[in-house]
Formats: sequence, C-alpha cells, structure tokens
Amino acid sequence: MSTTGFIFSNLNSNTLSLLTSDRTVAAIPFGCRYRLVDFALSNMVNSDITDINIIANYNFRSLVNHIGSGKDWDLARRSGGIKILSPGQEARQADAFVYSYRLEALRSIRDRINELTSDTVVLTDSDHLCNIDLSDVIAFHKANDAEATFVTVQSKIGDFTRDPQTALQSDAKGRVTDIVRSTGYDPDHPFVSIRIFVLSTEFLVRSLEEAVARNYHSFTNDIIMHAPERRRFYSYCFNDVVIPVTTFLDYYRANMLLTSDAAARNAILGKWERPIYTRVHNSPPTVYHDGCSVKDSLIADGCLIEGTVENSVLFRGVKVSRGAVVKNSILFGDTYVGANSSLNCIVSDKNVVISDDQTLSGAGSTPFYIAKNKRI
Amino acid sequence: MYCKKECIAMLLAGGQGSRLYALTQKTAKPAVNYGGKYRIIDFPLSNCINSGIDTVGVLTQYQPLALNDYIGKGAAWDLDRIRGGLTVLPPYQDGKNADWYKGTANAIYQNIDFIKKFDPEYVLILSGDHIYKMDYAKMLDFHKEKKAACTVATITVPIEEASRFGICNTREDGSIYEFEEKPKEPKNNQASMGIYIFSTNILLEYLEIDEQDPKSSKDFGKNVIPNLLRSGERLYAYPFSGYWKDVGTIGSLWEANMDLLAE
Repeated sequence: MSTTGFIFSNLNSNTLSLLTSDRTVAAIPFGCRYRLVDFALSNMVNSDITDINIIANYNFRSLVNHIGSGKDWDLARRSGGIKILSPGQEARQADAFVYSYRLEALRSIRDRINELTSDTVVLTDSDHLCNIDLSDVIAFHKANDAEATFVTVQSKIGDFTRDPQTALQSDAKGRVTDIVRSTGYDPDHPFVSIRIFVLSTEFLVRSLEEAVARNYHSFTNDIIMHAPERRRFYSYCFNDVVIPVTTFLDYYRANMLLTSDAAARNAILGKWERPIYTRVHNSPPTVYHDGCSVKDSLIADGCLIEGTVENSVLFRGVKVSRGAVVKNSILFGDTYVGANSSLNCIVSDKNVVISDDQTLSGAGSTPFYIAKNKRI
Repeated sequence: MYCKKECIAMLLAGGQGSRLYALTQKTAKPAVNYGGKYRIIDFPLSNCINSGIDTVGVLTQYQPLALNDYIGKGAAWDLDRIRGGLTVLPPYQDGKNADWYKGTANAIYQNIDFIKKFDPEYVLILSGDHIYKMDYAKMLDFHKEKKAACTVATITVPIEEASRFGICNTREDGSIYEFEEKPKEPKNNQASMGIYIFSTNILLEYLEIDEQDPKSSKDFGKNVIPNLLRSGERLYAYPFSGYWKDVGTIGSLWEANMDLLAE
C-alpha cells in the first residue's frame, strides 16, 4: 500500500515573521540555493512517496512559483505528483476560513483525506531540516501496528527553546507512555518531536471526525496529548543531524552552521544517494575576479565576486564589488554590495542594494535584517 | 547520479515483424496501430508502470523513426523521470565494433552498461509484440519466492498450435526441466510468452558465456535458456492466465482487434 504526504507550508510563521512578510515558511530561501520546503519534499521523494499535498494558507504566491509543475522534484506525474491545496471559501460562509493550527488545516481538507486510498500518511512541517529515510519510519510504524509514529530527537542537557516543544516519554520498544509540552531538557520526557508524523489513514480519519464533533482545533493539545498511553503511539528516534528553523535566530544559525560544520553539511546536503532537489535556475556560472578572497562560504550560481566573502551564504545573482567585505552574512538573491562596503552578521532579503562605502553590522546573537528591495 | 533500482525492464522493440508485411514496411512492429487508439508497445510499457517498474530500456533497431517519435521520452506512460524512466537504446558504435543487435541475447549483452548503471537485483526482459495486461510485480514475487535464477512467463495455448512456441516442460512445483523451442512434437501446451525475469548476476554470467560461443544464434529462447538448464540453474515457469495475443501475423492482429469488439 502506498503513502500520501502532507506538508504544512506555514505553521509557526509568527516566529519567523521577518522572513514571512510576503512568503510562507516553506518558501523561505535557505542554504544558498534551496527553500525550506525542498527538504520535506526531497525526503518524501527519496522515500518513494510521490503523492504529495502542500497545505497553504497565506502568502503562497512565491511557493507556487517555486514548485511550478513539480518537475524538479520528479513530481510532475500522471497519477499522484504534487498539489498545492489553497484555503477555500465555502459558498455558505461570508469569510474564507484560514487555518492557523495543524488540525484546522486538516479539517479544511477533510474531503480530500476521506478520499485517500493509501493506508498511511506522513505529515510534516517545513521547519526542521534533516535528511531522513522515511521508509524506515514507515516500516517501524507498520511493524508496531501504530496509530501514530512521531519522529523525535533525544534532547540534551542545556537544550532550551522559548516556544514549548512536544516532549515524549516512551518504553524500551518506543511505545509512547506520556506526552508533555516542554521548553528544555526534561529527563522524564527525553524525546522531542521534530514535527514529522506518520499516521495510519484510518486513525487520521477517525481523529478528524472527533475533531469536528467536539470542535477541536489543536492536533497536539486536543488529540495527541489526550491519554496517549491508551493509544498506539510510537516514538522513532532519529539519530542524525536535525536543524530546527523555528525562529529568525535559528534560521541565521542554521545557515552559519552549513558554512562552518562540514559534518552537518554532509549529513543534510551531501548524501549522494539522497540528494536535496530544488528548482533549477539556468543562471550562468559564478565569476571570481582577480583579487577576491572567499573562505568557508556557500555561493550559488550567477554571482560576481570581486571583494572578500567569509563565513557567508550567497544566493543567486549576488554581486560583491571591489573592496567590499562580507562576513557572517546571508545575502538573498540579487543583493548588490557596493565598493568598499563592509557587512557583518547581516541577513539581506531579495534584491537589496547596499551602496558604496557603507558599514553595516549586526551581532551573532542579533543579526541585522534588511527587507526586500531596500536601498541603503 | 545515484539510481539504484530493485528491478528494471529491457523491452526488445527492434523486431522487423516481417509477417506483418505492408504494416511493417515503414514501421517497427511495436509501433503498429491497435485497437483504435493504441500501438502494440503501449501494452508492455503500461504493464511496467502499472507494476511499479519505472526504469525501462527500449531496444530499437528496425525502422525506428515512427517508434521513437511515438515513445518520445516516455511522458505518456509517466516514465519521464529524473532517476530511471524510459531510455531508448539503439545499436551503437564503440572503439572496436559497430554491430547491429544480432539476436535478443546479444541486444541485451550490448547494453550491459545500461543495466549496471541501475545496479538492479532483477532484470525483466520483455518483447514489444504482444497484446496483454500483466502485473509483473506478481511475477517478481514468484521469482523471489522460488529463489529462481530465471523465471519464464508461460501461457496455455491450444496443443495444435504449441509447435509455434517455446514449450516449457515442468515438474509439479513449476520448475522447468526441459525447454524446447518450436518443437515438432510438443510434450505439453505451456508456451513461453517471451517474458523473463533474471537475477542480474545470472543474466550477466550467461550473456557473457553465450557471447563467447561462436555457434550460438544469440537468442534467449534458442540458446540462453537451454544453456541455463544444462548448467542446472533454477528455472521456473510462471503460469499467466489472462488475455494474451501474439500479434505477429496479419491474421492474429486482425483477430486481436476483433476480440475487442466481441461480447
């Protein structure tokens, strides 16, 4: 039996608000040539899940543009393939209902879920970056005859997040015995959900019926945390690199990690049998001029580098002029850095122009963000 | 690029189909029209994609223009893939040789590099001149269950026609002890459909042996299968029971079309 994938394109957009003013979380550029959704999509495609739905709510124009026909992920199919499910307005309602919780999103596409012929679904957000073989998770799920399987990582002493995460306690076989919301290391609930769920279709359909009957809104609060020890829930602990991108600072640090940590980079981008697919642009090769200096950086196609670039991530078509110095920064597509300007800890959105002789600096803990199309 | 597959298909589509006369003057047999909107090759290609086989090499030779035009890059069968998909494999020239495909086995032999690229455990050999619907996944399950070196799909034919086919003489468990190509006096009516699943290592080994044999006519039915039997390899017959029609003659092509109209 086959598996159907659902990707939530825009949960937690409030914590990434700088980057999501005119795009969904899924469409946030990342790692010099990707967008966040590429990781969720590639994980599915590399695990032979080729019937995929992206559930969108706000600002999904750039996502639609990025996905196109789905061809770049091998998802332009005659059966299955990729669909973007946009929020719909019902004839009887004056206002369109737009979800903000996962369960509301699923409720809004209940018709589609009730029609599924696959026996298993994978639900994932686009804000935890990893390169995972979902077929292993599905095999684990089926071997346990589970209702739901949570992909988790083991939390460590010192872990802390401002937003509560779902933390699980399980027995030796992975069966979940308790679930709590937690903001840091909790020795009693050591497994933290990375928001990839494998569900049996039957459990999902049943849960949605219950959600409608009882007017539930939150998947975690109303369904998952409700007497989990009486359900067949399992925790699948993933022992490889997982990079959360749930806040702006997370986002900045995740990009910096790729420039500095070869092991993390290889674990996510470098698995040759499990490549991360993205939309292919036919940009010309990047030109490195005599006198430029580049260290520990990820640089996409179509750039022109005349100055100095260190520990930075440069998207397509970035120009770094003569004498300019770019350090610890993320420059989105078509950013222009004028001659003799100096940037440190900057995140510049698309098409930003920084004129000559400017000095701009944020700090590693508070990088400075420049909005799309700004002239400085 | 990494493109490991469990099973790939090699579709022999280079046949002239000389018994179709005028129909194949300008067209390879697999591109002959059928049933109002199809061509013969639609059947094996659709069977592949419906059986979960997304990597197909199509070996062409005779009058390939209409055939190439028709299959394109395989998009009509959802076989235009980043990994795998459909690849047309015409005969080619290399440093030493420039050979036509000299027989079904030689055609596969000349494309061993294509097979190796996908590192498959199994290779499905198909021909492009039959009208039938078959789930190759079930045949593959059978092949694995029997731990066979090679599995031959068979169909029951009227005994009076059996001498036109390759006939499999089997034991009770389905294992083949004798394979007779077009026997004058057939011992039974289990005919080979020209569909084989090989475990890849066996296929490569026996193609190499066959290639080195100057007396061989480089044909699966005449040479490779009998040679596997002589060497004591595990050969099994997979009995198929759906509709199947060899449309090698004008008469049988006409009948196959008329069968669509029958009640």
